[in-house]
Amino acid sequence: MMKTLIEAFALISTWEVIIAMFAASVYGLVIGSLPGLSATMATALLVPVTFYLSPIAAIATIVAASSMAIFSGDIPGALLRIPGTPASAAYADEAYAMTRKGQAELALGAGVWFSAVGGIAGVLSLMILAPPLAEIALSFSTFEYFWLALLGLMCATLVARSSPVKAIAGMFLGLLVSCIGIENPGGVPRFTFGLTDLFGGIEPIPALVGVFAVAQVMRAMLTPEPPPLPRRKFGSIMAGQWKLTKKYHWQMTRGNIVGIIIGVLPGAGADMAAWVSYAMSKRFSKEPEKFGTGHVEGLVEAGASNNASIASGWVPSLLFGIPGDTIAAIAIGVLYMKGLNPGPTLFTEKASSMYAIYLMFIIANILMIPLGIAMIRVAAYILLAPRSAIMPIIMLCCAVGSFAIGNNMFGVVTVAAFGVIGYVMEANGYPVAAMVLGIVMGTMVEQAFVTSLIKSDGSILPFFERPVAAILAAMAIGALLWPVMVWGWRKLKPVRTGVAATGR
Amino acid sequence: MRLPDSVTGSFLVVLGTAAAYGGWLLPPVPGQPVGPNIFPLVIGIGLALCGLAIVFGIGHTFEEAEELIPLEDGQAAAAPPPQGKVYGLRALLPPALLLFYVVAADRLGFIITAAIMVYVTSTALGAKWKLALPLAALAPFAIHLIFGKLLRVPLPAGLLPTPW
Repeated sequence: MMKTLIEAFALISTWEVIIAMFAASVYGLVIGSLPGLSATMATALLVPVTFYLSPIAAIATIVAASSMAIFSGDIPGALLRIPGTPASAAYADEAYAMTRKGQAELALGAGVWFSAVGGIAGVLSLMILAPPLAEIALSFSTFEYFWLALLGLMCATLVARSSPVKAIAGMFLGLLVSCIGIENPGGVPRFTFGLTDLFGGIEPIPALVGVFAVAQVMRAMLTPEPPPLPRRKFGSIMAGQWKLTKKYHWQMTRGNIVGIIIGVLPGAGADMAAWVSYAMSKRFSKEPEKFGTGHVEGLVEAGASNNASIASGWVPSLLFGIPGDTIAAIAIGVLYMKGLNPGPTLFTEKASSMYAIYLMFIIANILMIPLGIAMIRVAAYILLAPRSAIMPIIMLCCAVGSFAIGNNMFGVVTVAAFGVIGYVMEANGYPVAAMVLGIVMGTMVEQAFVTSLIKSDGSILPFFERPVAAILAAMAIGALLWPVMVWGWRKLKPVRTGVAATGR
Repeated sequence: MRLPDSVTGSFLVVLGTAAAYGGWLLPPVPGQPVGPNIFPLVIGIGLALCGLAIVFGIGHTFEEAEELIPLEDGQAAAAPPPQGKVYGLRALLPPALLLFYVVAADRLGFIITAAIMVYVTSTALGAKWKLALPLAALAPFAIHLIFGKLLRVPLPAGLLPTPW
C-alpha cells in the first residue's frame, strides 16, 4: 500500500504531468466560464491533445479540466444568470439573485469552496467504493456483464429530463451506430455500404465532439448573443465560507452523497446531480420560502453535489468500462488509448496508476481554490470576448482535433455528421447523452450478448440462472418496462394525471 | 428544426426495420447459432418499436416544456431574431464548413482553409470585419502552432506553407 502510494507520487511528480495539469485547469476554467461551452465539450476537445501525452499526463488533463469547468460554470450563472455549463443551470437563478442583493462574493465563494469539498468527497468515494466492487466484479461472467451494461444504458434513459421512450430510442440509435464496421463477432463488414472508411467503424471521440461541440456552434447560429458582463470590484471571496460550512454542514454532506450516487449511476452526470440536490435542499430546508430570493443554502448543496459526481462517475468507468456520465465516456476512450483498459484487474495490475488518478483528483480540487479565486477576479475580462470570436476557434479545434485522432479526413466528416445528428436530436427532445452511451458501450454490449448466447447454445435461460445475473436482469427489465407501466397507470387513472402534472 | 413526433417516430420505424432486415441478411458465424446478425436484429426491432410508441405519443407526457429564462430589468432585451426559412438554415453552416475543410484542405492548405472557416463563422455570428479579419489572420497560425508544431499533427501545407 505505502509502496504503491510512493510509486503513484513518483508517477505524478514529473514536469509533464504538472504542466499538463496546470494548463488543463486554466483551460477548463476558461471554457467552463464561457456560456454555451460545457464541461463535456471542454473534455472532448482535449482528447486530440492527450494523444501526444504520457498516459498519466493525459488522464491528468481530463481530471483537471472537467473538475474546473464544472465549477467555473457557476461564474456567469451568478453574474449574468446564464449558466456556463448545464451543471450550473439548476441554481443560476438563485446565485444571480444573490448577486443582485450585493452578495456576489458569497455566492461565488460558495461555488469555489463547496465545489472543492464536493470534489474531494467524490474522490474519497472512488477510493472506498472501487476496490471492493472490483473484488465482486472479478467473479462476473459475460451474462452479468451483459445485464450490467444493459442496466447502465437503461439508467441513462431513466434519468434523462425527457420522454423515456425517446431516450431509449436514442440509446438504440447509439447502439446501431456502434454496429457499423467489421469489428463484430463474425468479422464481416456490417452496414458499411461498401465504403472502406466505414470498415473501422465510427470512432466514439469524433462522434462526441460532433454531438457536443459542433451542435453547440449550430445552436449558437440561431440564438442571440448573451449580454456582456458588467465590470465590478470583488471583496474577499473566501470570507464567510467557513461559517457557511459549519451552518450548512448537513446540507453539504447530503449534497455530496447525492452527487456521489448520481455520479455512479451510468449516464447521469453533474447536471442531474445539481438539479436533484437543489430540489432536495428546497424540499428539506427549514426556510424553503427563502429559495429563489438569493438564499445560499441551495447553492451549498447543489455545488457540493455536482462536483462530487465528477469523481464518482469514474467508479463504473474504471471497473466495468461503463461510463458514469458523458465526461467519463470520453475518459474511457482515453484510458483504452493509453493501454489502461478498464476492468477490475486494473486495480491489481496497475494499482499505482489508480492511486495516481486519486491523487490527481485531490490535487485538482485543492488547486481549484486559488485558481478559482483568480478566475473569478478576471472573469469580467474573459467574458468580454464575444461569441463571434470564440465559436470560430472552437470550429477550428473540432476540424483539426478530429483529423488528428486518426490522421484522416473521415474523422472530420464524422464530426460534421454527428453535429447535425446531435442538433436535430436535441431540437426534437431526444437526449443525446443516451445515444453517446450507446455508441461508447455498443461493442461491449454486443460482445457480452453474443458470447453469452454462444455459451448458452442459443438458449435464453442461462441469462437468468446465476443469482447476480438474475438480479441485474430483473432491474434492467424493470427499467425498460417502467415507462410503459407509468403510461398505462396514467391512462387508467385520468384523475391522477392532473394531480401529477401540477405536482411536477 | 422542431419536427412533429409523428415524423421522427416514423423515421425511426423505417430505420429500425431496415437495420433489422440488414442484420438478418448477414451470415452467422459458421457452426454457431448466432453471429454478427443477431445484435442489429434485436436493436432494429427495438428501435422500430420505440418509433411506433413515439408516433402514438407514448411517453410524451414526460417531456418538459423548454424553460425560457425571463429577462430582468437592467439586462438589455435582445431583439427577437428574424424568423424565416432561410434563417433556420444558418444552423447548417458549421457542418457545411467542416465538409468544406475536408474537400479544400489538401488543395488550399491548412492556413487558407482555416482562415476562410474562421472568417465565415465569425461573420455569421455577427462580427464586424474589424474583428473577423484579424481573427481569421491570426487564429489559423495559433492553432497550427499548437497542433502542427507542438503536437506534430500532419496538417496539409497546400499553397501557403507556414514559416516554421
